[in-house]
Amino acid sequence: MSQDTVVFSARKIVTMNPSRPVATHVAVREGRIVAVGSFDEIAALTGGRVDGRFKDKVLLPGFVEGHSHIMEGMMWSLPYVGAFDRRSPEGKVVKGVPTIDAIVERLQEAEKAMTDPDAPLFAWGFDPLHIGSVLLTRQDLDRVSTTRPIMVVHASFHISNVNTLVLQRAELDRTTNISGVVMGTDGEPSGEVQGIAARFRVFRVLGTNPLSGNLTADDVNRYASSCCVQGVTTVTDLHNDLADLTVEVYRAASRRDDFSVRLVPAMASVSHSPEQGVAKIKALRASNNDKLHYGIVKLVVDGSIQGFTARLRWPGYHNGAPNGLWYIAPEELPSIVAAYHEAGIQLHIHTNGDEATEVALDAVEAAQTATPRPDHRHTLQHCQMADAAQFKRMKTLGMCVNLFANHVYYWGDSHYDLTMGPERANRLDATGTALRIGVPFAIHSDAPVTPLSPLFTAWCAVNRVTSSGRVLGKGTEALTVQQALNAITIDAAYTLKLDHVVGSIETGKYADFVVLDTDPLEVAPETIKDINIWGTVVGGHVREAPRA
Amino acid sequence: MMVSSSVKTPVTVIGGFLGAGKTTYLNRLLRSDSGRYAVLVNDFGAVNIDAALIAAHDGETMTLANGCVCCSIGSGFLDTLGRILDDGTTFDHIIIEASGVGDPWRIAEIALVEPSLRLNAVIVLADASRIVTLLDDSRVGDTVRGQFERADLVLLTKVDLLDRVAVDSARSTVSALRPGVAVVETTEHTLPGLPDGAFRPASRFAATDADLTDHEHDFRRWSYSRSGAFDLDALADAFKALPPQLLRLKGACRIADEAMPLLLQMVGQDWALTAMPDGMAAEHDILLVGVGTDALPDTSALDAILDAALISPTSVTTADINRRQTAFTL
Ligand SMILES: [Zn+2]
Repeated sequence: MSQDTVVFSARKIVTMNPSRPVATHVAVREGRIVAVGSFDEIAALTGGRVDGRFKDKVLLPGFVEGHSHIMEGMMWSLPYVGAFDRRSPEGKVVKGVPTIDAIVERLQEAEKAMTDPDAPLFAWGFDPLHIGSVLLTRQDLDRVSTTRPIMVVHASFHISNVNTLVLQRAELDRTTNISGVVMGTDGEPSGEVQGIAARFRVFRVLGTNPLSGNLTADDVNRYASSCCVQGVTTVTDLHNDLADLTVEVYRAASRRDDFSVRLVPAMASVSHSPEQGVAKIKALRASNNDKLHYGIVKLVVDGSIQGFTARLRWPGYHNGAPNGLWYIAPEELPSIVAAYHEAGIQLHIHTNGDEATEVALDAVEAAQTATPRPDHRHTLQHCQMADAAQFKRMKTLGMCVNLFANHVYYWGDSHYDLTMGPERANRLDATGTALRIGVPFAIHSDAPVTPLSPLFTAWCAVNRVTSSGRVLGKGTEALTVQQALNAITIDAAYTLKLDHVVGSIETGKYADFVVLDTDPLEVAPETIKDINIWGTVVGGHVREAPRA
Repeated sequence: MMVSSSVKTPVTVIGGFLGAGKTTYLNRLLRSDSGRYAVLVNDFGAVNIDAALIAAHDGETMTLANGCVCCSIGSGFLDTLGRILDDGTTFDHIIIEASGVGDPWRIAEIALVEPSLRLNAVIVLADASRIVTLLDDSRVGDTVRGQFERADLVLLTKVDLLDRVAVDSARSTVSALRPGVAVVETTEHTLPGLPDGAFRPASRFAATDADLTDHEHDFRRWSYSRSGAFDLDALADAFKALPPQLLRLKGACRIADEAMPLLLQMVGQDWALTAMPDGMAAEHDILLVGVGTDALPDTSALDAILDAALISPTSVTTADINRRQTAFTL
């Protein structure tokens, strides 16, 4: 073994390689794993320097987040006003603000820290469903400032609250029934704005849209830093136009030796015709490097369940709300799927409601019938309401699924009470069904919609408990800890067609590890989310997570 | 009352399901010489303009020899429209193509909240050969129906490909969705020009009535003038009680406890009260002009609905109303 080989010794290495599940030593050279085993097995190879810094730690393959967004990195430049604790890219636990007073206080602090008196104050993460459906009004925000524009973006990213000053500047302060200007109980605009018209107007008077600003190196660095804090070594950006500027920012970041995550951007199909899209993916693939993996395409078929914009099969929403929205017409989907399928490109198809899932299955079936293609691994994303019959079709068609396990905790109560009712809510994000039927699956956060934290996502899939403490379908749909760890490592890598290079600790793969204080397989399953993450190793580079 | 609306650019939104013929219509409008249009389209590739007519093309924006520009919406509709408004170029009209599964009204609302714009019309296209089936479709029927909900004009396309019975069936299906809304039968070669002011009541007050493309259809006007003021809550109820045949209502509107009359703009069931624009001073407490379909009920019935929302004794002032009506550009 050559001189530049480093042998990491650890208390335990959980490899996720079923033929060698546990080890204590892993040898790394040129960013890759040369050998895995016991000290004796590794020492039999000559040379190599033993690095003992992890002798009390547990190594796992670095976590793979199969569905999250770069917006997680963009949002942390703004104050967080969600109800739940959330860890920042600096490793700090930012306390949740679960009352209006606490939100106002958080905003007042942020306001005081601003130097330019005219700059707008943006904040993110608010969801009235998490604070007992209490609304944030313009009067609440006026307590923060009456002279500075303020805008709080909801966790859904589709709704915002603004202060009176913004309404006045936008001339939306009068009684109106423009659909996106929500009236308060007093018959006056409440400060809640949604929909394209109101958003257009508000962003124009603010002079900026914090959700569509140009991507910067800082945003990407924050994202990478959050990944390190959460033990993620391969991360997606699962819906991106991939404009030239973004491509350049990603290229520059991924070429840096100290850039500590492998990035897998998915091109948004919506901003390209299929012919353009196919050509663009082929061109982008040529620029791939060890830490930048272009090649997948994202389609969005419907909206969200808790926003009542997902497309549901009969009988629809439990509370009788009208069916949701198509973002791609059912009759248009087959031709889009076929174009990418025939070009050999892997698709990641967002379907929340089961009617959208059905339409996606039909489209893949048609493409697969016309042009049979082994191992396409087209993956349904979210796919929260699929029943056993739909999972069986996925299996037959050779598809994968990435289930939104975090939803059980964050919106499980809403699904039980409002959107799906008890029976369907109990099989929400049916990991157990996927396992029984044999559909390869991952679980995800959709960060920044919910926090980036694969251990928390695994905890959701294992415990299936909602934020109010209700347990949903644990007997039939819950995973064991081992199964959940598969779903955040090797199986998530499989859905990205990267399982040959990441997702387990075995010879030949990238030396990507998460360094934990405790072995998740040895602690009580209710506590796996609380395991301390020391940091990561990416391509052999050790990076201790920041702790603020 | 003064007019200060010359700076407002009219907006027309073109909606309709996939395959309804939106692109064909937009191609037709772009080629016309009737104005300098900014046209926002979903799919640039579908716009089919002779190379000879293209003056410049930078990937996102195409400038034509006739002064029109065509912009690709891509995924950034708001950014694209914002750029057009900030560009400094003035256009006679902004035409926006809604997506095939989108609700054109959601886009039309932009023209109601953006002060530099005014809503001209929402035109929804329906493929005569498919519309009956589409409306019945279990997956997309609700989406298609929703697109017609606020249409000012329906273009029934491709009628030359069908027999009379089928066209009549399509026409009556659409008419049943929106009684009173004009349905114009078209073919690829008879698509109408942009109905500026004809279908939105804008220049209904400027003696262009005769320009209507669809001669089967006519409009009725209603003017309402009072001194005094409305109670806001009662007025909101009164608006709900107005019949659906009333398409639009606009004018000065005094509300109790407000120092100055406000500007009311109502389109269908949507309304807004805003400060009078600069240079537009109200001579009356209340002076509203409305436009409706030819089935609009008698004006005394309409008067009674709004009278119920008044809080103080009133006197009718009819003088000069007809002249004043022409002052509004709705
Ligand atoms: Zn997502």
